[in-house]
Amino acid sequence: MLGVIKRRKIRLIVYISFLFILLFTAFLSSLMIGAYPLSPIEVINALISPSNDAGSIIVNNYRVPRALLAIVTGFSLGMAGGVIQSLTRNPLADPYITGMSSGAALGAAIAFIAPLNIFMIPFFAFAGGLSSILLTMFLARKSRAGPIGFILAGIAVGTIFSAVLMFILVIAAERAHGILYWIYGSFSTSNWNKFQVILPIVIPSFIFLLINARDLNILLLGEEHASQLGINAKRLWNLMLLVSSLSVSTCVAFSGIIGFIGLVAPHMVRLIVSSDNRFVLPLAGLTGAFLLLVSDNIVKSPFNPIGEIPVGVITSMMGAPFFIYLLLRRGERYHI
Amino acid sequence: MNDIEFVVKKGEMLGIIGPNGSGKTTLLKCIARSIDPEGAIIVLGRSSKEYTNEEYAKIVSSMLPNWPNGFSMKSYEVVLMGCRNRACSLWWERDEDIKLVEEILNLMGIYHLSNRDFDTLSSGEQRKILIAKSLAQKTDIILLDEPVAYLDLKHKIEVMDILKALTQLGKTVIISIHEIELACSYCDKILVLNRGKIIAYGRPRDVINEDLLREVYGIEAIVKWEGDGPIIIPKTKKLKNEVVMCLK
Repeated sequence: MLGVIKRRKIRLIVYISFLFILLFTAFLSSLMIGAYPLSPIEVINALISPSNDAGSIIVNNYRVPRALLAIVTGFSLGMAGGVIQSLTRNPLADPYITGMSSGAALGAAIAFIAPLNIFMIPFFAFAGGLSSILLTMFLARKSRAGPIGFILAGIAVGTIFSAVLMFILVIAAERAHGILYWIYGSFSTSNWNKFQVILPIVIPSFIFLLINARDLNILLLGEEHASQLGINAKRLWNLMLLVSSLSVSTCVAFSGIIGFIGLVAPHMVRLIVSSDNRFVLPLAGLTGAFLLLVSDNIVKSPFNPIGEIPVGVITSMMGAPFFIYLLLRRGERYHI
Repeated sequence: MNDIEFVVKKGEMLGIIGPNGSGKTTLLKCIARSIDPEGAIIVLGRSSKEYTNEEYAKIVSSMLPNWPNGFSMKSYEVVLMGCRNRACSLWWERDEDIKLVEEILNLMGIYHLSNRDFDTLSSGEQRKILIAKSLAQKTDIILLDEPVAYLDLKHKIEVMDILKALTQLGKTVIISIHEIELACSYCDKILVLNRGKIIAYGRPRDVINEDLLREVYGIEAIVKWEGDGPIIIPKTKKLKNEVVMCLK
């Protein structure tokens, strides 16, 4: 068994390295892709010696923060998806389906329209995201319908928050145009400012979630069993939900609602590697980052015939078929 | 449950018996702190309520009903979770914990199950894995709810042998059990519950007799003692006329 566990640790390192290489490749290509295509040499020159020419400004001021924002958002969605699926012991849960994203978008939209300082937006998004997930949990518990109840409650809460959001957008029609585009998920307005706001919130969140990955495995046994193994199960459950909704809400505040990354990334890891959360959380984060960056590359590709579309459209187009696959192929006995 | 008062000494094995719904599991859950009773449970000189989860998990381990399900986890991973109570490393289990789990799985004759998904095991196999998880906690007090249910005779005896050996190491074992003969052969004390009350408590030979079986289970049976264990023979095998009428 010692050998098996050692091999698993090596596998984790191999998978992480592999995903890093993929992510780095996608990152470099994202610096080249755009309305103004650049060659690899131009990109490298711009990165090594920034100057005032157009290529260098595009790379350093727009494309690098945009790619980094996509990476951080994808990582956050992938990891939070894995956490929420484990906490709720529900393979269908993700930040989008549980209504968390809609709540965060509503909070962020209010802050946008008010209008408040850019630094206030994550807090409003967090308040919205947290209240929606708490409402979902409350309704799911009241319904006593188990995993199905959770999904139905999430859809209901998400719908309510989305409806309120639409209402606000209609009222604030003049300011709504830009916001509407943002809500469907887009990195087109990324800049270093946004990145500076997000980073100090999401990095500690990632560290906290990763540190507790082992105890998250034990929470899968249920609160009673986890408590008997020495864990303060209620506190850990609440903290993990709070922290994952904080990181998701912050990202949603700046990139809009991006569906399916949080669902697809953890499942890909579970299907290919392992259900152990020590594997799922870091690898789902990296997978989410890679998927979102590639989606954003597709969105801004000059070969894209209809111009730039919201990135959420691409992730949904990739994610929904995978969701159907899960339902049909593994619906009968699919576990976290 | 009312008027429950008893003392279990270090190194003793206590068997709680009684009909279905008599309160055996509830009593174990109270000791395991899954249920908060009105009275006090004193564990090693302190009220059980005074301990933190972390402290309590170092003293008391338990295998209670409502088993977890709905996840895919290897059996050895479930057993390794038992080592969480003394986790020094944050992320990975220590080598010595892994070796301990290997030894426990070998001891219980279930090493071959270690790489199987916990969810795909039979009830008896799952039970043995969860007992192994409790043993991996290395606590002084072990609570097990029906540890031998669903097991075949060989495995029942193996599990009881292991539990008895643990008492010889100074550990205290409290189990709920339906197999009266087995309980009497292995347990130092027997606690008989019925409708949430203690009916009898003491050494097996002092407790188990024909009157008790009549009072608690409502059956007429002959109790013969052979060595440490009783043999219970139903007095009459009545043909239930209602069954014959209903199902003929």
